[in-house]
Amino acid sequence: MPRTTTLECPGCPSLRALTFDALGLIKVIEAKVSQGGAPRVVERWGELDSSKCVLAASINDRKDDPLLAVARKTGMIEVLSAINGDIRFTVSNANEDGPRPEDDAVVGLHLFAGQKLELTSRSCTLLTCTTKGNTSMRSIEVTDSPAGSASIGSSNTWSVCGSGNILCSKVDGSEKYAIFGGKGVEMNMWDLDNCTKIWAAKSPPKNSLDIFTPTWFTSSTFLSKDDHRKIVAGTNSHQVRLYDISAQRRPVISFDFRETPIKSVTEDLDGYTVYVGNGSGDLASFDMRTGKLLGCFLGKCSGSIRSIARHPELPVIASCGLDSYLRLWDIKTRQLLSAVFLKQHLTNVVFDSNFADEEVKPSSVAADLPLNAEKIANETEIRDEEETLPVKRKKASKEDERRKKKKASKENEGNKVKEASKENNGSEKKASKENEGSKKLKSKKSKRSKYEIHDES
Amino acid sequence: MGYKRKKSESELEPEIENDRKKPMMQKEEKEILPSTIKNKEKRSEVHAKLKHQKKLEKRKKAKARDAAEKRALELGEEPPPKMVPRTIENTREFDETVCKPDDEELFAGNDADEFGAILKRDRTPKVLITTCRFNSSRGPAFISELLSVIPNAHYYKRGTYDLKKIVEYANNKDFTSLIVVHTNRREPDALLIIGLPEGPTAHFKLSKLVLRKDIKNHGNPTNHKPELVLNNFTTRLGHRIGRLIQSLFPQDPNFHGRRVVTFHNQRDFIFFRHHRYIFDRKESKQTDSKGKEAKDAKGEKASQERVIARLQECGPRFTLKLTSLQHGTFDSKGGEFEWVHKPEMDTSRRRFFL
Repeated sequence: MPRTTTLECPGCPSLRALTFDALGLIKVIEAKVSQGGAPRVVERWGELDSSKCVLAASINDRKDDPLLAVARKTGMIEVLSAINGDIRFTVSNANEDGPRPEDDAVVGLHLFAGQKLELTSRSCTLLTCTTKGNTSMRSIEVTDSPAGSASIGSSNTWSVCGSGNILCSKVDGSEKYAIFGGKGVEMNMWDLDNCTKIWAAKSPPKNSLDIFTPTWFTSSTFLSKDDHRKIVAGTNSHQVRLYDISAQRRPVISFDFRETPIKSVTEDLDGYTVYVGNGSGDLASFDMRTGKLLGCFLGKCSGSIRSIARHPELPVIASCGLDSYLRLWDIKTRQLLSAVFLKQHLTNVVFDSNFADEEVKPSSVAADLPLNAEKIANETEIRDEEETLPVKRKKASKEDERRKKKKASKENEGNKVKEASKENNGSEKKASKENEGSKKLKSKKSKRSKYEIHDES
Repeated sequence: MGYKRKKSESELEPEIENDRKKPMMQKEEKEILPSTIKNKEKRSEVHAKLKHQKKLEKRKKAKARDAAEKRALELGEEPPPKMVPRTIENTREFDETVCKPDDEELFAGNDADEFGAILKRDRTPKVLITTCRFNSSRGPAFISELLSVIPNAHYYKRGTYDLKKIVEYANNKDFTSLIVVHTNRREPDALLIIGLPEGPTAHFKLSKLVLRKDIKNHGNPTNHKPELVLNNFTTRLGHRIGRLIQSLFPQDPNFHGRRVVTFHNQRDFIFFRHHRYIFDRKESKQTDSKGKEAKDAKGEKASQERVIARLQECGPRFTLKLTSLQHGTFDSKGGEFEWVHKPEMDTSRRRFFL
């Protein structure tokens, strides 16, 4: 008999991840414990168009109405609902007098979670950064009027670097500081409240052979959520560096990892572990207190790792990249939990942490959904929406009740350790399974009716 | 070995239980494994006996099979289905990346990739061939043959230029691909194919090179644009490699040139062959299988003359194996790989990537 080694997938806990790829598609991957923990693609948003390649993405991972910001190659930034993929609004990042979006691609995008400047609930703040260093922070208010989709409340544009190319940018946990770095640009930190540079790194000295390696940062992250002073950066010369802005301008710790450029760096929740992925598909975790390698994540991964995401609650990380697989790994054992083939070169992956109560659709928002211009063109669709509205409202009232209940139960359990959360999810699931079943049916029905009308039109 | 033994045992046990009339001797003989006998002479004797028995059984089986087939033929029935031998290829590990013909994402992805312009004939392929820094003997000979295989290919001396500089130069001169033949110890051993201007870089190991003059009864190729045959490039990665190779050749072959270039993929090895073919009319011989043929070609006189294709190899002949596929043009230090061969992938003989 042929001796074959099958990929043993222990299966992952219930989670929901979103991936973004080079053809401009957004794919939603869900894993459910009840179905054996095998993740599968449940939804695909967007049409196949290589000019709409996703360059950067950011998620506002809140309980109700999570939002997703996506920067495309065309220079457009779309904000969509992370639950059903409805486009809330699109803004153009290109200036009239500035360079064309093809030359000045967006490299960094951050959707602020906290409400800035006491704006209304349906506004959001975006930080974008382009290759040339044009950074802009704007808060966008979504108006209810059917014609105007979005209006820019306040916008603030400045340039981060004089020369060179920005390749990475990151906003810290408190959302007050941002770091930028790139080819020919040393890491620098900006205060976002008053747009001033507060710190810049200094390149390391020449080595013993008097050779100076040119500055080329490819990835960066903050070491912990609450502390903005420690930065981890990966360079093109396969070095990982730790900067402490309160100590010195040169790296505190610096070490090599393999022989291809570091393509992504992601921090863990514990505040000292980082996950490092490089250009030839190696993924490893490091302890940044000592700079020691904790271990590698082994599993036939052969394409450059473009993005790593850490699940906010479960001990799971996801990596994706040019080999078009989304891989889910266990942090503790560093085992591959499962891999999903997604057919395209992936650029980004994010987790949606509220998956357990994700079955509940954000109906309150859907009821008075701000319609964007495209939808208005299709009048039948609007009619359709109006027709479906009452159903949704009914659901809303029910769902709100349940959500409250769930929240209460969650608070009780909140004290428990993280590891127990898996089981919690399981038990919650069981309890709400029946309800969910009926709910799903309903939502399916409404969806189907929508599609049918769509077809007729 | 161990597995086979187990199987025979498990088959044996119920048999023994079923008919206990069988002599005890045989049972004992089968149960004693030759490897457990300590006396070497005895052991080899038992082993030889077992082997002989197996051989007899095999022969009996084959005979029975042949007889059944013959009988079916005589009675005019459907012959029993032929057994398909189990090969490494047809027991290949399941691979979800194998392309399916109804995959719209595949076609959209193909349209959007770097070779789209060439394969849609918006650009005509123009290939620059160069070598590594030092080359001699078989290297230049191989290149001169490559030049005759690939139309619109130009050889440039490498000199002391960096490969990145050459890529830049080729971009300025509107080349669509760049081939670098790497020689080691006067023997070509690696091939680098770079798609230009932004296409991927494939790095192949080159082996089993046979030049034209070493092929017996070789033909000499003409200047016609060759036809291209790409075999067995099934997965996503395979498709990409196939398209990379396809982009080296013009998309409008001269069919009257009767020249064909084959890239045949088998177990991740890509075999290159270059042939001329000819359609010959031949008088069909009246063999003993006349009955069958006569049925097929009733009434037609032309059927007496069969058309057969004859091949003449033109060389060179070589084998490629992919070691890495890099995103973007050649960049050994800062490159991002789409696929790299890693030793941990070689844990199964039945896992193939192309």
